[in-house]
Amino acid sequence: MADAMAWYDSVIQSLRDHDIWLVPYVPDAAGWNVVRRLEQDPAFLTVPSAREEEAVGIAAGAYAAGKRSAVFMQSSGFGNTVNGLAQLAISHRIPVPLFIGMRGGLGEFNSVQVPAAQAIPRVLDALNIQHYAPDREEDVSKVVDGAIELCYAARYPVAVLFYSGLVGAKRATS
Amino acid sequence: MLRREALRALLDRVTTEPIVANLGSATFDLYAAEDRPANFYTSGAMGLVSSVGLGVALAAPDRKVFVADGDGSILMNLGSLATIARMGPANLVHIVLDNHQWAETGGQPTHTAAGTDLAEVAKGAGIPHVAAVTTLEGLEEALDRAVAEDGPWCIVAEIEETGHGPRPIFNPEENLLIFRRTFVP
Repeated sequence: MADAMAWYDSVIQSLRDHDIWLVPYVPDAAGWNVVRRLEQDPAFLTVPSAREEEAVGIAAGAYAAGKRSAVFMQSSGFGNTVNGLAQLAISHRIPVPLFIGMRGGLGEFNSVQVPAAQAIPRVLDALNIQHYAPDREEDVSKVVDGAIELCYAARYPVAVLFYSGLVGAKRATS
Repeated sequence: MLRREALRALLDRVTTEPIVANLGSATFDLYAAEDRPANFYTSGAMGLVSSVGLGVALAAPDRKVFVADGDGSILMNLGSLATIARMGPANLVHIVLDNHQWAETGGQPTHTAAGTDLAEVAKGAGIPHVAAVTTLEGLEEALDRAVAEDGPWCIVAEIEETGHGPRPIFNPEENLLIFRRTFVP
């Protein structure tokens, strides 16, 4: 049996298959596996953003002008997006696929990452944002394809969470 | 210069170009002046209109894109100025209508009433074309340049706060779809 594609290659293939073009992001170690490849790919325009809520606003603007986006961020900055999600994306029914590199779980070395990570699924639930977390490389295509399809069909944000079981735990650097 | 005069000056310089309006007074006064399909109105997400405008500008590089922002709002999202500068969309014109107050919540003075100079902040962020204007004539001149010349532009226009037009009733989802149809069927 052939090896599964690397998780980040599956994500990129799904983004391409769904005509995602604009990728606003605040960098994180997990998502960077995807975004650094998109930065070299003329099919995508990446937008380094100063703050996560900005990235949601940029994605919303691109949709308002007829283009598709995907937003990448780390769990630690997700909280910064809540007002933009609630008062812009959800209120105006703007689909924004969210890809969140989850710190604060297995292998976490930084205690302050933990509370945000624990809150995120419940905050997403409170916003009625569906969220999915593939934990095996062979499931990534199915989950990301499905999440993007759902997001644009429902015209509502959808989140894909990448936990350390899939992407590996960030290691402490000295 | 009043907000409605500033917005009239902008409307006189556009045909089908998009205008993204900040929550509250900018949205109310733009709606009252001229409700058009290419107006994107906001009612919340304070601070984000410059980011929304950047997204529109990147997605539609063949159209000038105007943002009618406010001082209280851009103060919530100063990083947006740096992101705009980094991406450098030639077609983006970011107008900050600076009334030196949070007008929606009772007129409390914002930081621009206490010395913060948003035009200098925009320059420091790296926006290549910045204008600070205090009169209607000054704004008209800056808008004429921004329409004719590549940006990104940031125009900080000092306005006198005298209240806003009536609060329109509109559906944000409907507004989004109407706006979007000016770009795609």
